[in-house]
Amino acid sequence: MKNITLTLAATIALLGLATTASAHHSAVQFDFTKQVPIKGVVKHFRAINPHMQMILAVTDAKGTHDIEFEGHSTNNMYRNGYRKGMINVGDAITVNVAPLKDGHEGGYVVSAVTASGEPFGMKSRNLADAAKIQAQAEGK
Amino acid sequence: MTTVSIKKATGLSMAAACALLCSSVAGAAAPKGPPDFTGVWTNAGAPAIGGTTGPAAQPLPIRPEAKARVDAYQKLVTPLGETPGGWCLGTGLPGSMLGSGGYPMEIIQRPEQITIVYEAHNETRRVYFGARNAPQNDRVPGRNGYSTGHWEGNTLVVETDNLVDQIDQRYAHSDEAKVVERYHLEAPDAQGRRILVADMTMTDPAFYTAPVTAQKKWAQVPNGRLLPYECAEENWIKRLEELAKKAGVALP
Repeated sequence: MKNITLTLAATIALLGLATTASAHHSAVQFDFTKQVPIKGVVKHFRAINPHMQMILAVTDAKGTHDIEFEGHSTNNMYRNGYRKGMINVGDAITVNVAPLKDGHEGGYVVSAVTASGEPFGMKSRNLADAAKIQAQAEGK
Repeated sequence: MTTVSIKKATGLSMAAACALLCSSVAGAAAPKGPPDFTGVWTNAGAPAIGGTTGPAAQPLPIRPEAKARVDAYQKLVTPLGETPGGWCLGTGLPGSMLGSGGYPMEIIQRPEQITIVYEAHNETRRVYFGARNAPQNDRVPGRNGYSTGHWEGNTLVVETDNLVDQIDQRYAHSDEAKVVERYHLEAPDAQGRRILVADMTMTDPAFYTAPVTAQKKWAQVPNGRLLPYECAEENWIKRLEELAKKAGVALP
């Protein structure tokens, strides 16, 4: 597990330097040592370079509110299991997120489980991981 | 009828002669050409190996005035994590050849030209050989400069000049920088992949008191394919949204 975390962090650090850090955000603001599962309903999704954009309507203690996320480049999403049409507006999905260091809501989507249970991303390329992430998101 | 028969007979004779000749040539010690690097290559080993635009890990033989520029640049961008790639700008040399941000590259090799396409930002380099080269005055400066190549045995040597000043490189440099890359194949790795070793030497008297060296290893991806990397679309969509907002209309 430790090895996986280190590899993931190194990969993200590298990809962040190269491909994210857009005009709006950069990888430096995310804590890639942490993985937080979050469930929500997709309000906006765009697989785009240099990084994916997503807004989820999340229901928690604060009620239902929108949270903005970003994530991998389209290229790295496809290399890690994503395919066109897997995420659509209105879908209830789970994302596994490296949170913002400053404590604000949002983060970098490291992996996700789609509405039909399909996993993609650097950490959830098999169903066992996907089930674990979903269970965590549901507080199980 | 007769003509057809003669053509058939001639055709058969030629085919037989060719088969004989071809097998004869194949059996002879034909001059061996350079290795073929054509194909898709990815990081060999940990993805953290390779060049990016962040600060160098080890101390560099950098001149004080150049270091002052690099420090000022890093102070500006590091807290926010800003990078050229984040603004859809290609990595440039030497970062491109040292890893291009962890993405793969494709080499297309012809005797007179080698084309290297880095997946990130669809960044493309062209390495010209011999008479294929442009006159010095016609070479356009850029982030990947102008590259000319030659073979030293099985080693491909690529010499690059006409680089522009790039303070945003891990190995920052002025427009006086010259980069020499030496590519050779080493023994396949444990997975049986071909391994391409790239040794880089950069000289830049305006920036460094000694040559700067680095090495990158690439592993071949059998039947690999690069993916398209469109990066400017987001900015265009945002511009359209601005235009629509200004016009008071919905985004078409």
